[in-house]
Amino acid sequence: MSALSQEERLTRVLDKKNIDRPPVICTGGMMNAAIVDVMKATGHTLPEAHTDANLMAELALDVSRHTGFENLGIPFCMTVEAEVLGSEVTYGTLACEPKIVREIYQSVNDVTLNNIPAMLQSGRMDTVIQATYLLSRKEPDIPVIGNLTGPISTAASLVDPVLFLKELRKSREGAHRVLDYVSDLLIGFAKELVDNGATAISIGDPTATGEILGPKMFNEYAVRYLNKIIDAIHAQGAPVIVHICGNMSSVRQSIPDIRANAISTDAIVDLRRLKQDFTSLTTMGNLSTYLLEYGPTEKVAERARLLVRDGVDIISPACGLSTSTRLAHIQAMTAAVREG
Amino acid sequence: MIQNQEELIKQLSDAVVDMDEDKAVELANQIVEQGIDAYLAIDQGLSDGMSRAGQLFEEEEYFIPELLMCSDAMYAGLEVLRPHLKIQHEGEREIVVIGVIEGDTHDIGKNLVKIMLETSGYEVIDLGRDIPPQDFVQVAKEKNAHIIALSTLMTTTMDGMAEVIRILNREQVRNSFKVMIGGGPISQAFADKIGADAYASNAAEAVRIARKLLGGAA
Repeated sequence: MSALSQEERLTRVLDKKNIDRPPVICTGGMMNAAIVDVMKATGHTLPEAHTDANLMAELALDVSRHTGFENLGIPFCMTVEAEVLGSEVTYGTLACEPKIVREIYQSVNDVTLNNIPAMLQSGRMDTVIQATYLLSRKEPDIPVIGNLTGPISTAASLVDPVLFLKELRKSREGAHRVLDYVSDLLIGFAKELVDNGATAISIGDPTATGEILGPKMFNEYAVRYLNKIIDAIHAQGAPVIVHICGNMSSVRQSIPDIRANAISTDAIVDLRRLKQDFTSLTTMGNLSTYLLEYGPTEKVAERARLLVRDGVDIISPACGLSTSTRLAHIQAMTAAVREG
Repeated sequence: MIQNQEELIKQLSDAVVDMDEDKAVELANQIVEQGIDAYLAIDQGLSDGMSRAGQLFEEEEYFIPELLMCSDAMYAGLEVLRPHLKIQHEGEREIVVIGVIEGDTHDIGKNLVKIMLETSGYEVIDLGRDIPPQDFVQVAKEKNAHIIALSTLMTTTMDGMAEVIRILNREQVRNSFKVMIGGGPISQAFADKIGADAYASNAAEAVRIARKLLGGAA
C-alpha cells in the first residue's frame, strides 16, 4: 500500500477503506492555510486571489507545495455565499481575512428568494468553480476540496446574527424558509464544484455549535440542513467532511446523526474518546492552531504523532489558522504525519 | 399591598426568565401605576430575572437564543421603568469599554457580555465589532473607563488582544485599566500569555470577574 496517491488516500479513508497512514490535510474555507509566509515566498497573494480563478488556483497549489498539506483547498474565506446572497463583504488584506461588513436583512421574514442558477454563475461562486476545474485538471493525484460555509452560518451572514438566533425561536417557519433556501444554494454550489473535479466537499458551520444553539436547536436546524446538503452531495457521488466548532458537549449525542463521511473537531475535543464512544465515526483533527502559531516546532511534531497514535483518521488543524502562523510549524506537523 | 408589590416584582423576574416581552411590559406598567419604586422593580425584578437566566445559561438549560430573548424582555421592561427612576439611584457607575477585535465581525458573545454587565449596573460603552486595538485604548482613556473588555471568536484575530495590551504598556497606562478577554478560542492560558487581567468563559462569568477585578465581592 505504499503507492497510494494523496487523492487515493483521502478518498479511501472517507470511504472507510484501509490506508497506509492518515492523510494530513487542511481543507481551506474556514480552515484556510494561505498564510503570509507562503504568499510572501510566491507572490501569489490575497486579497487578489479571492476574485481571480487563476490566482486562486495558483495560491492553492503554493499552499500545498510549501506546507506539505495533502490537498488543494479553495476558497480562502467564508464569505462567497453571503456575498452572492447580497450581504456586503470586504476582501481584507494580505494578512486579514475577508469579512461581512453588513448583513443585508434584519429578519428572516424579509428575505427575498433569488434565482439559484443565476447566483451560481455570478460573483465569486463562478471564480471558485473555475479554480476547482483548473486544479483538478492540473493535479489529478492531489485531492481538491471545495469548501462550503454551512447553512446556519450562511443564514446568519444574510440576516443579522443576533436577530437570526432569536428568530430560530420566535419565527421558526421563517427560519426554516431561509435555511431551506440557503441549503438549496449550497447544494447547487457543491454540485458545480463536484462536476468540475472537486474530490470532496467540506462544510464549516461555526455558528452551528452546541454552545450557541443548544441540543434542541442543533437538531432542529443544524443536523437537519447539514444532512439535506450532505445527502444531495452524496447523490453526486462525492464524500463530505463536516467541521463542528466548540466543545460539542451539549450536542455530543447528535454527532453520529450527521451523515458526513468524516467529522472534524476543535482542539478541545478528545478525539480518542470520541472514537471510543462512536466507533462508526471517521474522525478528523485536531491540532491546536494556537500551538501551530506559537510552537515550538518539536511540540507541534510530537502532538501530530500523538494524534496518529490515537487513531485519528485524518490529521488536520483544529480550527482556522492565523495568517501569521509560521510555515516551519506547519511543516513540522505535516512531516511528522508523512514520515509516520 | 406589600404582598402585591413583592408578587408583581417576582412576576417581572419570571417574565424575563420566560422570555415573555409583552408580559414584562404589562407588569412594568402595573408597577408604575401602583407607584412601586422603579429601582426596586429593576433590581429585584428585571435584573434578578436576567441573573436567573444567566444561571440557566451556565447550567446549559438555556443557550444563546434563549438568553437573547430574555434580554429583549428585560430591555422592554426597562424602557417602561427607566423614566420613573428617582435620580439618586443612578450614582457613580463603573465604566466598561467593550468591543470585538479588528478583523472579526462576530459579536454575539460581546453583545451577551454587554447585556449581562448592563443588567448588573455597569455603564457599558460598546465600540461594536471589527475595532482597531488603538481605539479601545483611546476611548478607555477619554471615558476614564475601569475595564477594557475584548472579544474575538476567531483564532486569526487573537493577536489583536495582545496588541491592545502592548499599546497600554507603550502609553504607560497599563495600570489604569483592567483588561478582561473572552471568546471561542480564548483561554486562561492565552490571557496569562498576553498579560490580560482576566479571562471569562461566558457572559455570566464576565459579571463575576468584573466585580472581582474592581475589588468587589465576586
